[in-house]
Amino acid sequence: MKKKVLLMGASGSGKTSMRSLIFSNNPASLTSRLGATIDVEQNHVRFLGDLILNLWDCGGQDAFMDTYLSTQRATIFQHVGVLIYVFDVGAHERTQDLSYFRDCLDALRKYSPDARVFLLLHKMDLVALSDRPAMLARRREELEGESSGQGVSATVFGTSIYDESLYKAWSRIVHAIIPNAAVLTKHLTTFAEACSATEVILFERTTFLVIATSSLQFPPFASPKNGAVVGNGGELTTPSAAETLHALDGTRYERTSELIKALKHSCSRLREEFSALEMELPECTAVLSEMTRNTYVLVIVHDPTIETAAIRINIRLARSKFEELQSDTIFTR
Amino acid sequence: MAPAVATAAAPPSTNVKPDSLQRSKILLLGQRRSGKTSIHRVLFDNTAPNETFYLEPTTRIEKHIYDTVIPLEIWDCPGSTSPESLGTPFSEFAVIVFVIDISNPMYQQAIKQLVDFAIAAYEESPETPFEVFVHKVDVYSDDYKLENFKQITQRVNDELFDLQMEHIQLNFQATSCYDHTIYDAFSRVIQKLIEALPYIEDLLNVFCANAQASKAFLFDIRSRLYVATDASPVDAGTHSLCCDYIKMLTAFRPLYASAIATPARITPPSRSSSTLPSRAPSAPPPFSPSAALALAQGTTLTFHQATPALALLALLPSAVYEARRGLLEYNVVFLREGVQEIVNVEREARGGT
Ligand SMILES: Nc1nc2c(ncn2[C@@H]2O[C@H](COP(=O)(O)OP(=O)(O)OP(=O)(O)O)[C@@H](O)[C@H]2O)c(=O)[nH]1
Ligand SMILES: Nc1nc2c(ncn2[C@@H]2O[C@H](COP(=O)(O)OP(=O)(O)O)[C@@H](O)[C@H]2O)c(=O)[nH]1
Ligand SMILES: [Mg+2]
Repeated sequence: MKKKVLLMGASGSGKTSMRSLIFSNNPASLTSRLGATIDVEQNHVRFLGDLILNLWDCGGQDAFMDTYLSTQRATIFQHVGVLIYVFDVGAHERTQDLSYFRDCLDALRKYSPDARVFLLLHKMDLVALSDRPAMLARRREELEGESSGQGVSATVFGTSIYDESLYKAWSRIVHAIIPNAAVLTKHLTTFAEACSATEVILFERTTFLVIATSSLQFPPFASPKNGAVVGNGGELTTPSAAETLHALDGTRYERTSELIKALKHSCSRLREEFSALEMELPECTAVLSEMTRNTYVLVIVHDPTIETAAIRINIRLARSKFEELQSDTIFTR
Repeated sequence: MAPAVATAAAPPSTNVKPDSLQRSKILLLGQRRSGKTSIHRVLFDNTAPNETFYLEPTTRIEKHIYDTVIPLEIWDCPGSTSPESLGTPFSEFAVIVFVIDISNPMYQQAIKQLVDFAIAAYEESPETPFEVFVHKVDVYSDDYKLENFKQITQRVNDELFDLQMEHIQLNFQATSCYDHTIYDAFSRVIQKLIEALPYIEDLLNVFCANAQASKAFLFDIRSRLYVATDASPVDAGTHSLCCDYIKMLTAFRPLYASAIATPARITPPSRSSSTLPSRAPSAPPPFSPSAALALAQGTTLTFHQATPALALLALLPSAVYEARRGLLEYNVVFLREGVQEIVNVEREARGGT
């Protein structure tokens, strides 16, 4: 299955930078050396098993935009699965930007009416931290209004190549393309139970974007009955209160993608390749290892009696099952 | 009357709490915007390099303390500082670091200031090591970087020669906040201050031999500076992987902390135990974090926390790691005890408790 993904936006808005971060494992610090993209750069990225992303990075200089919207209109806008439109939050000239955006939506509606649309407010790091929520809300409203005016429903994200926000947005974009991710969640949850894990996360191998996660497991040893949690009045807290306490950091998926990608990059500088990682930390035990040819799995365990060796055996045993799942169930429609 | 006099004589600005510890002082000098404050922030305040862009200029000497194997006091000076205006004898400092911005085409002025300081420091305190960081090398490609670096060192040495001061030894290092070079350069500076360094190095050499490790570092976890390494040469790739690995582990930890499941992992210390000797035979050994990063070509990079502040990082064959975990752990325990003892001795010698 092939999905065409259009990456559009004004010149210098950061399209090629984000592509090189997510798909080519380049560090953010080197993006300043990228030249402007001439015309369209096409990439085929084998994402998962049979799912191939056909990425069209469309150079954003006016001359190119004008041809996309005129002579190349059909070529560019037909068979599009996803349109990602990138806006530089630091840009001064916005009317021109918005006018091209409108024209693109117009063409998309005609040639690929079913395409999903994602809008990235990029270079958020240039906005002071305290101003970001307000700025994002304001620009989101503006862009959502603009899209619905064109009869298109769009999802807006604030992103920056310098933090995990880029991984969050791209994980959501990819998620929209993967059919039946729910099946994966079900199997990951079964696997988590088998490992006595709190959580299991499946990543795509090259991009380290999150494909699926198990539902959060509640470790029995930390349940209120064992006295681990005592309310203010000395009484035991209710399970739901305990579950709130058990909640992990809300940004952990995208932060993990970002951290592992950075580590993979430093391995490559050593002309080495990242293979596996295991950690016994005060907070948790974790094993990150290859699951299938295209995926990595991260198993998070809080039970201190579970050894990393046991987790590794469980992963090995689950491999063929997931390989099978990936090729049959998930990607044939 | 007396208190007023005392206030006037006090140093202009300080965030140093007066403690009895005898700290090793590091003097950071250089022109305005050469990158002194950035270096301090990136290494010791966990600031991301691209965030240093917004730093305000330093207007008076700022003193920062940092505790690792040895207690440090880092003096960040404004660019206008001269040997006369410093107001503190050079012999007070354990090391002097001069930062020169390689990307500034007007470095003539910086070189003049550098030479002034080098001569003044040498005349007053010839033993104090004088380090030069040729900084911001990230702005150039590799060839151009080297050429500029050579040109600057040549200019400085020419100036010293013209003043008949060529016997002054300066140590030049190329650095950038954007990569591992600043970590490597500053690590080497700190190692000059650790009196017990040979003992720690011995422990690491013994560890390498016993655990079949090809390389071992003792890192300060928070700053990611290495305070010692074994006798084999430091390879830039391995060093930067170690830095990134520690950074990754530190950032990863809070992400998967659960308010109830995490404390239940580590047996909470019972209150009565504080009255008992800390090494009661029944007490379980304290939990110490560890990690192992396997690389595809058959090596594993291990991480073992040695003290609350320090960690051992070692590169060993994956086969050895897999087959001899027990032996490895045994050697780690041995090293950990040795390091702890050296840290205690250092601290006592400096009047700490
Ligand atoms: N501050 C900041 N700069 C960024 C970010 N993303 C990209 N940049 C910078 O923006 C500049 C332009 O990036 P490119 O990726 O080449 O832009 P592009 O959209 O591909 O431009 P065209 O190919 O001409 O359409 C580079 O110098 C990047 O380093 C970001 O999140 N924050
Ligand atoms: N390219 C580059 N810029 C740097 C580096 N270190 C610092 N800078 C920048 O240099 C400027 C001045 O830094 P600052 O620390 O305030 O200089 P100070 O006056 O010497 O304390 C800031 O804009 C930093 O972002 C570096 O390694 N590379
Ligand atoms: Mg481009």
